[in-house]
Amino acid sequence: MDPVLVIQSLISGVMMGMVYALLGVGFSLTWGVMHVIHISHAVFGLLGAYFAYTLLTLYGVDPVVSAMVSTPLLFIVACAVYQVLIRPLTKAREMVVASMILTFGLAIILENLLVLVWKADPRLLTPSYASESWIIGPFYLQYPHLIGFALSLVGISSLYVFLKKTTTGMAVRAAWQNQEAARLYGVNLFRISMITFALAVSTAGAGGISLALLYSFEPHSHNLWLIYLFLVVIVGGVGNVIGTALAGLIIGVITGLSMAFLPYQWVNLITFGLLMVFLIFRPHGLFGEVG
Amino acid sequence: MGKKKSKHAFLLFFLIGVCLTAGLPASVLGAAKPIVIGGSLPLTGQYAETGQWIERGMRYWAEEVNAKGGLLGRPVEFKIYDDQSEVSKAVTFAEKAITVDKVDLLFGGYPGTAARAVMAVAEKHKYVYVSMGGHMKSFQQGYTYSFGAPPLMGEWWYEGFFQWLATLPANQRPKRAAVYTINNPVGLSLMDSINRWTKKLGIQVVINEKYNAPLADATPLIVKAKQLNCDLLFSNGFFPDGVTTIKAAKALNYNPKAIVQGIGSVIPAWVKELGRDGDYVFSGTSLYNKLNYPGNDKLNAYVKKKYGLDGYPLYFGFGYAWMQTLEQGVRGANSLNQTKIRDWLKTHKVHTIAGPMTFDKNGLPPPINFCTQIIDGKVELIWPKNIRTREPVYPKPAWK
Amino acid sequence: MKKVPLIMAVLTVAVMALFPLLRPEVYYLSFLFTLFMYVVLSSSWNVIGGYAGYLSFGHAAFFGIGAFATAKMATAFSLSPLLTILSSIPAGLLAALVALIVGYPCLRIRGPYFSVVTICFAFVVDLAVKNIEELGGAEGLWMTFMDLPEETSRAIMYEVMLLLMVVTLATVYLLGRSRFGRGLTAVRTDEEVAETMAIPTAKLKIQAFVVSAFFPGVAGGLFAYYLSYIHPDAVFSINISILIVLMAMFGGGGTWLGPIVGAVILTVVNEGLSTFAQAEIARIIYGALFIIVTIFMPDGIIAYFRRWATTQRKA
Repeated sequence: MDPVLVIQSLISGVMMGMVYALLGVGFSLTWGVMHVIHISHAVFGLLGAYFAYTLLTLYGVDPVVSAMVSTPLLFIVACAVYQVLIRPLTKAREMVVASMILTFGLAIILENLLVLVWKADPRLLTPSYASESWIIGPFYLQYPHLIGFALSLVGISSLYVFLKKTTTGMAVRAAWQNQEAARLYGVNLFRISMITFALAVSTAGAGGISLALLYSFEPHSHNLWLIYLFLVVIVGGVGNVIGTALAGLIIGVITGLSMAFLPYQWVNLITFGLLMVFLIFRPHGLFGEVG
Repeated sequence: MGKKKSKHAFLLFFLIGVCLTAGLPASVLGAAKPIVIGGSLPLTGQYAETGQWIERGMRYWAEEVNAKGGLLGRPVEFKIYDDQSEVSKAVTFAEKAITVDKVDLLFGGYPGTAARAVMAVAEKHKYVYVSMGGHMKSFQQGYTYSFGAPPLMGEWWYEGFFQWLATLPANQRPKRAAVYTINNPVGLSLMDSINRWTKKLGIQVVINEKYNAPLADATPLIVKAKQLNCDLLFSNGFFPDGVTTIKAAKALNYNPKAIVQGIGSVIPAWVKELGRDGDYVFSGTSLYNKLNYPGNDKLNAYVKKKYGLDGYPLYFGFGYAWMQTLEQGVRGANSLNQTKIRDWLKTHKVHTIAGPMTFDKNGLPPPINFCTQIIDGKVELIWPKNIRTREPVYPKPAWK
Repeated sequence: MKKVPLIMAVLTVAVMALFPLLRPEVYYLSFLFTLFMYVVLSSSWNVIGGYAGYLSFGHAAFFGIGAFATAKMATAFSLSPLLTILSSIPAGLLAALVALIVGYPCLRIRGPYFSVVTICFAFVVDLAVKNIEELGGAEGLWMTFMDLPEETSRAIMYEVMLLLMVVTLATVYLLGRSRFGRGLTAVRTDEEVAETMAIPTAKLKIQAFVVSAFFPGVAGGLFAYYLSYIHPDAVFSINISILIVLMAMFGGGGTWLGPIVGAVILTVVNEGLSTFAQAEIARIIYGALFIIVTIFMPDGIIAYFRRWATTQRKA
């Protein structure tokens, strides 16, 4: 087997995997901390992508800048969504199920609002470096992949630092590990939940933009992106930020290797099959449900 | 008190006015009962973009027909259901249109898998169904009421490209082909002509792989094609995977002599979003908007004015052409009797924006062999030679 | 079952069975066929999802297995219409067998991870069928029509699906009331505690999973014949899996009536909206329905009305 092909596949695969991880880390966090399966997480990612597309095509704003701008904007929007839609769900006996049904409905609404505004036409995010590469020896590091990879590293590590080092972040982790105890310590669970939710959704914007640098997108794309999210959560473990990042790497490696060695027809099947086997043997993800 | 009364009066007059205006078109055409054409399109979901273009083409046809006095002296109107890009819904809505709404005629749907299923429904209820069809296999099921007018026939899609390629001296033709095909009915039907022609032209198919959607990474595909010195690339897929492949080809500086695209490059977004990166790809088509067939000028002008596009998109043309065929069948048979329409269509020639067509017993016209190439952001016709709009650019210039 | 509800149920079934005699338009037979089918799907899913608490998100896999098995058998052996319809039973058994094989390792996984592994499973089955040409592959399979007028053939499919629905609902009802059902409830409430009480949780779960796969398999076989053309995208779609879960939980998982209510409401609303509203608006209203119901009835519709009925009785 040709080593250049293998390594090149690995390089682009890993970078692609990390982009999935960036979109998935917020999804994983929401699920782990709040027991909310946020089906509309990917649609918020799409929202970020359309935002970046509009700014790029109308004003020439680079997607990376849009990613940074969209993050606080989405944070605010998500806070509102939390207060209006998510908070009432805490009354449910099974919040996981109720949140899934509600956010499913929200995803449909947002998808069709996107159609009304931007039409169903597929779009591409094409900054000047869209199809350029940084060439090192025989290897091509495609700029969109690199940018996505960089955004992912920044995004995920920021989230990690927030959770581990800041007081709010530690409160989030505490609430997640033991809700009763956290309440006893005076932690306002609603406020913590809102911040967690908003934080998770705000990373979705950057994640969506990174994905849009790699692939074309249209309002319906969130359905496909949702599959990537579930993949990342399986391997990384629900709620596990570092695990999600590593999951991205692993999925990238699996995709890259299988594309280098197997007929492409079998790649998706092998990927899902392996993940299935993997889950059977390590049901809590590679790294378990740690903070 | 006075304010409320005048408000009510205004509302009353407004409503009367609305009713009068709404009733006007019917009264202009002698208040004749409209001819209803029914069915479903994917107006939301995965295939919404194409579904909407088909609808626009259909409605433009209806406007024209009604402006000229209607069909059989009656106005035409549509009953379009949204099948949400789901095959089973396309089937139930087809049945609803036929048995509940009791529509007079059916219109064709999208994509090929839905068309395959609806062709069955149309056959069961003996309704003429003019659509893109579902590639060759769907026309080999013994259905008599289906017509592809024109069809989107994967088996014919690359005929024109290969016929053109055959005119090149052997030493200029590509020698080694990399064929990447999406694993679904469209992709599989595209492979048919590749298998036949590469043998004829002495082109070695070095790579022949299928992939399942989604195509997550086209990098390995391109690297392989490069390493094996493939100078002809077939990207037999839709827009998302086609785009991923082209972007990778540019990023990895892969410069084959020609790149052939499946059905991804036929939608307006290809040129709009890829810009110059989308240039020089070859593809097929079932109709071409710059040909001299009657109606093309009008449609182009309309699309330019309304959507700012340089020439009507393929699916707009499809919607219009299928309706033209149906219209001529109805006029020819002078009846809304489905069997009479079917028999007339099978024994007469129709003239549409896609050119003249006659239909064989399976409802297919003779094989279409258009080949297109995108040059300077425009879709040019390069085959058949006598209607060529521009000389093909070959070999493909290197990426800048 | 108490006498009055039982008589009512029998009467309802009788009325539905006699409906085709009214010579309704074919569309209504088809619409009800689809409706009954979703009742079958959501009710049988409920055995593993609502009763046992293991939310399978890949149930379309069993539906699709049944569909392709039937289509393949019918075309390979040129089966007559009667045999084609009957072949949906072995197709269902095949789905049940697959559930047995897959359930054994997968049911050891709890909570959200079980859901995720079932998603993977559905993709694996979908991709496997697409890659295997003998099963139709990515082209799909065509089936021959019944050589009967459409009204008659649709009426036949209607009656068969009605029969399947009755059998499914009766089975699920009886299972729910039995020791088996109580065992599943124990598993859902607290599996560890159930194990300490010597309840054979593993066996119960697998049996539940197998039962929950059989009926969708049969339904899939009938669906294939009803469409006359079957393609992986039409039966393995994750949208179907999600819809099944939503119908059951929206109506009220863990109750016998819940999936029926959920399936009926969602199917009727979806169809109605598509008929009367502009495409995107219809979808937005559909999405809003989920939000509104979940906010006001977070545990499902049945649970809400039961609670309301209890408070009314107290008043």
